[in-house]
Amino acid sequence: MTIPDDFKTRLKIAKSKIKKENANENEKKGSFLGNAFKLGTELVAAVAVGTIIGFILDSWFDTKPWLIIIFFFLGAAAGMLNVIRAANKMQKEE
Amino acid sequence: MASNPMQQFTVHKIGPEIKIAGIDLSFTNSSLFMVISASTVLLFLFLGSKEKKIIPNKIQLIAEMSYAFVAKMISDTAGSKAKPYFPFIFSLFMFVLFCNMVGMLPYSFTVTSHIIVTLIMALFIFIAVTIIGFLKHGFKYLSIFVPSGVPVVLLPLITIIEIISYLSRPVSLSVRLFANMMAGHTMLKVFGGFVVSLGILGGWLPLSFSVALTGLEILVAFLQAYVFAILTCIYLNDALNLHH
Repeated sequence: MTIPDDFKTRLKIAKSKIKKENANENEKKGSFLGNAFKLGTELVAAVAVGTIIGFILDSWFDTKPWLIIIFFFLGAAAGMLNVIRAANKMQKEE
Repeated sequence: MASNPMQQFTVHKIGPEIKIAGIDLSFTNSSLFMVISASTVLLFLFLGSKEKKIIPNKIQLIAEMSYAFVAKMISDTAGSKAKPYFPFIFSLFMFVLFCNMVGMLPYSFTVTSHIIVTLIMALFIFIAVTIIGFLKHGFKYLSIFVPSGVPVVLLPLITIIEIISYLSRPVSLSVRLFANMMAGHTMLKVFGGFVVSLGILGGWLPLSFSVALTGLEILVAFLQAYVFAILTCIYLNDALNLHH
């Protein structure tokens, strides 16, 4: 195995260049878009799960419609908690 | 030509009907495209790792890039403890990515545009992460439902909210992927329908939209696979490194 010295140094220079440019531009852009896609469903999913839990508990205990109302709001709170957590995580990453 | 934009999502059987214990296990076009995506991944990685050159050719470069990409993602979000789970997350990422990308080809079927497919993947991750959490920490894992520094009066309420938030993980994980893929492909078909119905005079505007949307869809296909994998890493991180 023979690697020419010239190639080694060129590789080193190219690597450091790539590190500088890519780390700053492309990866940040990608993760921003990824974060944007993440947030929307985070909120909705918790509301849906809360409402479904309320519905199931209602039919178990025969307390229609009270538990579904309570768990709807609890689900909304959980959704907001999710979004706040995700936003906090994004800020930390910056 | 299909004028109904939702027709592209119909699942139909290919070959004979297979029924085992009352469960329909027939081979469908959805299964066919899963097989195509999985074998494309295998072929791609086989070709990429066949010749181990110091100066890689294109396919080896892409294979190594995808490896490094996922490895970096795992070490950034879940730390070094998550290293043993690399094979799982890598195959998950590649499978979702190739399902999305194969779906972008004309006349193909998008496997990930069905919620049952994404939900099963998300539920598998959810259950696996929960089991890993309990195996690593025992009953102390339940402390993720009880955040520290909360007044005792509020504790029951917060715990219920935390449990709902935990249970919403598979839902948000699966709905995100499914909704993005389905909405994008429906939109492409609708704009394609506009091109046909407006004819040669008015069809140019929706055609240009269609071209732009195709580019956007390819971006979304990659991004959704990325988000799916990175959220798996984040959930794994919560299970491995217990703190809030």
